[in-house]
Amino acid sequence: MPARKYLRPERLPTYWCPGCGDGLVVKELAGAFGDLGMDASNTVLVSGIGCAARAPGYFLLESVHGLHGRAVPIAEGIKTARPELNVVIFSGDGDLLGIGCNHLVHASRRDTDLTVVLIDNQIYGMTGGQKSPTTALGVKTLTSPDGNTDRPVDCQALVKAHGSFYARATTFHLPLLGKALRAALTHRGFAVVDVRSQCPVNFGKRLGFKNAYEMLMHFKKAYRPVAGEVDRLGPGEIGITR
Amino acid sequence: MTGRLILQGNDAVALGAVKAGLDFFAGYPITPASEILHALVEYPGQVKVLQMEDEIASINACVGAALAGAKAMTATSGPGFSLMQEGIGLGHMVEAPLVIVDVQRVGPSTGMPTFGAQGDLLQCRWGSHGDYFPIVLYPNSVSEIYTQTIHAFNAAEESMSPVVLLTDGCLGHLFETAELVDVPLKTRTARPLGGGSRHFTSLTHAGDHPKATVPSAHQELIAALAAKTAGVAARYAFYEYLPVKGADTLLVAFGAASRAAYHFKGECAIFRPIRIFPMLEELAEIARGYRRVVVIEMNAGQYKLLVEALIHRPVGFIPLLGGAVRVSQIEEGLKKCLQEST
Ligand SMILES: Cc1ncc(C[n+]2csc(CCOP(=O)(O)OP(=O)(O)O)c2C)c(N)n1
Ligand SMILES: [Mg+2]
Repeated sequence: MPARKYLRPERLPTYWCPGCGDGLVVKELAGAFGDLGMDASNTVLVSGIGCAARAPGYFLLESVHGLHGRAVPIAEGIKTARPELNVVIFSGDGDLLGIGCNHLVHASRRDTDLTVVLIDNQIYGMTGGQKSPTTALGVKTLTSPDGNTDRPVDCQALVKAHGSFYARATTFHLPLLGKALRAALTHRGFAVVDVRSQCPVNFGKRLGFKNAYEMLMHFKKAYRPVAGEVDRLGPGEIGITR
Repeated sequence: MTGRLILQGNDAVALGAVKAGLDFFAGYPITPASEILHALVEYPGQVKVLQMEDEIASINACVGAALAGAKAMTATSGPGFSLMQEGIGLGHMVEAPLVIVDVQRVGPSTGMPTFGAQGDLLQCRWGSHGDYFPIVLYPNSVSEIYTQTIHAFNAAEESMSPVVLLTDGCLGHLFETAELVDVPLKTRTARPLGGGSRHFTSLTHAGDHPKATVPSAHQELIAALAAKTAGVAARYAFYEYLPVKGADTLLVAFGAASRAAYHFKGECAIFRPIRIFPMLEELAEIARGYRRVVVIEMNAGQYKLLVEALIHRPVGFIPLLGGAVRVSQIEEGLKKCLQEST
């Protein structure tokens, strides 16, 4: 598999819980690198803090694992200093849309040539299951025992406000995820791939999902792929916007 | 550039940085530091300047640019310096060489934006959480700002760590004739990002391997950081010492306050640390020759606390607060110190 040369199998087993979706996204991104024949010596990964942010450590590439919420400005510094590098960010929903949301908006406005892979598990996974900026209304978490009353952040709206590339996929729809990643990596300018992923331990269990498989089946039912490239994705739609 | 010019302190920072080979600047406007940002946008093609959304973004962008091989700098004042603290710790942890300029103004909080102060001393030593060992330089004239800016870049390159160049609102906006004296530049040996498989992590690590649950790994990491910065700092032991025959009082002052302290150089000896941190052992040595040591600073007693700890005896103190630097205030303060210690 051409993807293998981008990975670091000696770091296995991963830090993640059994059934976590993060590994699926790592594999798809490595696959996209392979499909595009990306130059490993010219590709740098950047992340903040969180479970999703541990992904760069499993790649055989140069990487920076920085501060919670700050992957985007670190990446902007790298890309500005060395425009010839491909700079790819791994971020979580709390990392990108909570603590670091300001940076997302402004990097999108500047159209910095970065690819952001957002692993959205709708929860603060690493810190034990607090509500996140994308937790749906009514959902019970550690910090919303009576059901979440905060409206979720609309990532697409934030990114599209400045006309940046935005794609949405899930860890069930892996071929679509691969396609979205390839499109984002070849897009010139700011690109976000928003991946709905499962956190069976700190999220799914509390919602009544028995395991990761049930969560993936839920994604299969709840999300509808849209063919081609569209202007905007509706709620429950996955696909590519440009 | 070398020669004599009339400049303000903030412009001398920009000129010194460009001379030192600055490639990348990220910042956010703030009084009294903005002129540094204004000056650097005048070097297109030479310095890449990003006006970021805040100081958190600025410091993190500098860490990224530094790891990518750039000579990077940001400039701010108290409120922005406070926001940068977590990012400064990151710079120490991943060993990113960069320069942070803090043109101090009166705080806490928004304070007095247009008035100079020296209230960020402890923050620049201990502002980020955990243990780190920053090199901090504090010049007191426009000429010296130019040279010390170059030294700050050199110290950053040698120590592979964030170095703070302190100035204050008085010096930043002070126009005076400046002699631009150049300093030979240090170059980096570390390879810039790309071409390998290194993992730079903010977690406690050994090499590029996260070791966030191993106490011995942390002990080794901190010992290595301490030894590294101490070794480099020894080559930047800058200070000014003005002894006077028969004087029994040593004034300790730096930055804008030291300019006022010069007024007393006929009657008192003066020690002016330029390398504010790590503190100069030379001060402990020199202080032994004086009956009285008096710190003059534009805050409520930050460096005084540390001087006492360094020389192991009580130290007199003259605070200059609220942006006022008056010779009469120092005169009165000195009188009080003399009464107290006789
Ligand atoms: C400044 C700061 N605040 C809080 C934390 C604690 N923290 C670590 S990870 C995290 C949440 C991560 O959530 P998310 O980004 O959604 O990633 P996930 O773990 O779900 O993949 C928090 C709050 C931190 N590391 N730094
Ligand atoms: Mg999350």
